Amino acid sequence: MGRGRLSRLLAVAANTFRETVRERVLYNLVFFAILMTLSGLLLGQLSIRQDEKIIKDVGLAAMEFFGILIAIFIGVGLVSKEVERRSIYPLLAKPLGRGEFFLGKFLGLSFTLLVNVGLMTVGLGLTLLATGRPADPSLLDAVYPIYLGLLLVVALAMMFSSITSSALATVFTVGVVIAGRYSDVIRNMREVAPGAPAWLTQLLYYALPNFRHFDFKDRVAYGDPVPAAALAWVTLYGLSYVAFALVIGLLAFRARDFQ
Amino acid sequence: METPLVLKTVGLSKSYKVGHIWQRSRPALHGLDLEVRRGEVFGYLGPNGSGKTTTLKLLMGLLHPDAGEIQVLGRPWSDPAWRHRVGYLPEHPYLYDYLTAQEYLDYVGRLFGMTARDRAERGRALLERVALTRVAAVPMRRFSKGMLQRAGIAQALVNDPEFLVLDEPMSGLDPVGRRLVRDLILDLKAAGKTVLFSTHILPDAETLCDRVAVLRGGRLMDVGPLSQILKLDVSHMEVLAAGLDATSLEAPGLRLRQRLGERWRLEVEERSLGGVVRAVEAAGGRILSVQPIRQSLEDYFLKELGGEGSGPWGGED
Amino acid sequence: MRGGTGSAAAAGLLLVLAPAIAWFQARIDSALGPFRPQEEALYLWSGKHVKMIAPGFEGIAADLYWLRTVQYFGGQRTYSRDKNFALLYPLIDITTTLDPRLEIAYRYGAIFLSEGAPVGAGRPQEGIAILERGARALPGSWRLRQDLGFFHFIFLKDAEKASEVLMEASRIQGAAFWLKAMAADLLAKGGDREKSRRMWRQMYEQAEEGIMKANALDRLQVLDARDQADRLAAAGAEFERRLGRRPATLAELRASGLASDPIVDTTGVPFELDPSSGRVTISRRSSLWRPE
Repeated sequence: MGRGRLSRLLAVAANTFRETVRERVLYNLVFFAILMTLSGLLLGQLSIRQDEKIIKDVGLAAMEFFGILIAIFIGVGLVSKEVERRSIYPLLAKPLGRGEFFLGKFLGLSFTLLVNVGLMTVGLGLTLLATGRPADPSLLDAVYPIYLGLLLVVALAMMFSSITSSALATVFTVGVVIAGRYSDVIRNMREVAPGAPAWLTQLLYYALPNFRHFDFKDRVAYGDPVPAAALAWVTLYGLSYVAFALVIGLLAFRARDFQ
Repeated sequence: METPLVLKTVGLSKSYKVGHIWQRSRPALHGLDLEVRRGEVFGYLGPNGSGKTTTLKLLMGLLHPDAGEIQVLGRPWSDPAWRHRVGYLPEHPYLYDYLTAQEYLDYVGRLFGMTARDRAERGRALLERVALTRVAAVPMRRFSKGMLQRAGIAQALVNDPEFLVLDEPMSGLDPVGRRLVRDLILDLKAAGKTVLFSTHILPDAETLCDRVAVLRGGRLMDVGPLSQILKLDVSHMEVLAAGLDATSLEAPGLRLRQRLGERWRLEVEERSLGGVVRAVEAAGGRILSVQPIRQSLEDYFLKELGGEGSGPWGGED
Repeated sequence: MRGGTGSAAAAGLLLVLAPAIAWFQARIDSALGPFRPQEEALYLWSGKHVKMIAPGFEGIAADLYWLRTVQYFGGQRTYSRDKNFALLYPLIDITTTLDPRLEIAYRYGAIFLSEGAPVGAGRPQEGIAILERGARALPGSWRLRQDLGFFHFIFLKDAEKASEVLMEASRIQGAAFWLKAMAADLLAKGGDREKSRRMWRQMYEQAEEGIMKANALDRLQVLDARDQADRLAAAGAEFERRLGRRPATLAELRASGLASDPIVDTTGVPFELDPSSGRVTISRRSSLWRPE
């Protein structure tokens, strides 16, 4: 990648990060902090193992939940807002390729999410320490795949918003994210509905992004070990699906006329 | 490399798809052959819906042409190198709410690969040039339309382009702003740059342009110096006078008299101007202003091009 | 950044990525097992808490948990050995907390908690507890009480309690007419196998196609096989009476013509004869073998 290209990419990414920060996306951390504080305070009556588990459960779930909201709603707007407001017009006249713009936006939001997740992880650790529990480093085994999952949601949101209007793109992204969480049900559909055509359930299973693969929250909350090989495969899966979605989104974006 | 032509289009065509289910094709530009020469200020004129903005968007890559070729600064259009030497101001620019003008220019500068120092210097100079220094640190969501327009001009100049493309640069500006833009264009011309701008305001074109192209219904009607295209001969003089009752004013060449409150508007043939002036003074009045009236662009369109100025399809410009 | 070659490269990339994605997915499944998903059950530690999290969507949530339960424990996996029965109770608990009127969940859960390994968890007390909850949640359901009565008899061997429960069941409106008779019958001594058979017969007939029906059928086949074994033992006794000695093998017994039954059970595995006691039992190698 030429130096010029990389620096333009980073310029777009940095600007996108700045945009999300100034548009107060990171305020969701305030809700998270409140949630963590409440969990820490209110769960004192439960037994030792339970309140530690519950704090971890709540923290990881909130991290994922807020992350997904940001990924979908900001992700869909990344491109569509610029197009609707036409702020993209002067930019594309510069030596900035459409691909550089698109990827730069993705990188920018990914970085925002990284900061978000990172701060939440620290917050979770602090909450645990504050209630007298150890800040378990194995939490990262759950945080990392959550982050990968968020990247995939962003890529999907950007892909859909390149293809269709921002309203529809939001609906589709939400739909795919929910369906992806239930891919096990789809896959095993034959157990309950033997009449369902196998090729269809298999196709859906492999085509839909399987968000369960990014879900290690339970294991970590219970202290079960996470095999490194599994994380490696999950990384490969996540990154290739991200690439897939981004390529499609990019092709659609490049072909667009900005009327 | 010096080339005589900064812009050349051959057979450039574009149509839009209209309708959701059954798509019709609405042509916006038909086989445009255009040439812009180095060092000139080129006006791109036409009524709304004639295809001016479409042309400029095709040039910048915001639209994909159906047919035709574009060459910029002697390079094929697909060569990204020319973009370093060209600046563009879109119509109704919208910039980023959450950035200040300074930050925005810095961002644009980064896209050109300029160093931080160059960006800072250039940003400062440009903001001064467009009279936005006072509000350099104000988020652009607070900018008025005129301020946004000026900021848009600034971003088009960040890379000190040889060739500047402006889509309706005067729109939204108050007289001070318009003067600013006019002076800017003249300065650029003096510095040997080339400027292409689209407008539908004749006086601007008249003052600034070496050559103009007239577009209507997506077709090029005429290209050349403005004086050749429009009959810029004076049709009559308009005299404003006060302090007299001109009802009974008589003078050769006085075609029309119209009372405007305390004042009178007189239409006078050009060669009879002197006689009318003396007659007014003899009647005890005084001359407030004298103005030559020429055929306007609207007159041109109505007369020469026939009709409202937009084609049977209308609309998209 | 436009151009035909760019798009061709992109298309090529997509063609490479698509199968790669599928392959990685398969690798993950094999590394972690395709039936991981029950983790949520552990994760959301009880029905009450799940209910709190899904206000307004209990119905759908119940359905999803029910689907998971059936997928995990049913179908081809009925006899597999890697099921984690620790999950069954929480799954049933969550499902029935979310939707207390899902009658099938109680009955299903009860069966698979009560049946012994490898089919079930082997914890009939829990199965009975589930049925009791169901009976409380659905007072109009005679079937749940019927199952409860059956289970007391079959799994806990408590004929008196079973009879009591069946009597209760018989009083519910719409209850099957034979419940009362069966209740009385249970109090009589002996004939346990026949009583069990009638119960499993009922459960077989009431079940829809699926593993519950299959399990009931299975049970009936076991009872039949035992009957068959008993008949062979009786034939052996007859053999002894006539010939003065016990048959050495079942083949000999068969050859003598005194046994009208085949000497293999319905799965084709021969019975076992203990020559010293004359007892005929189902072979351990047969799938019909059950501890008792």
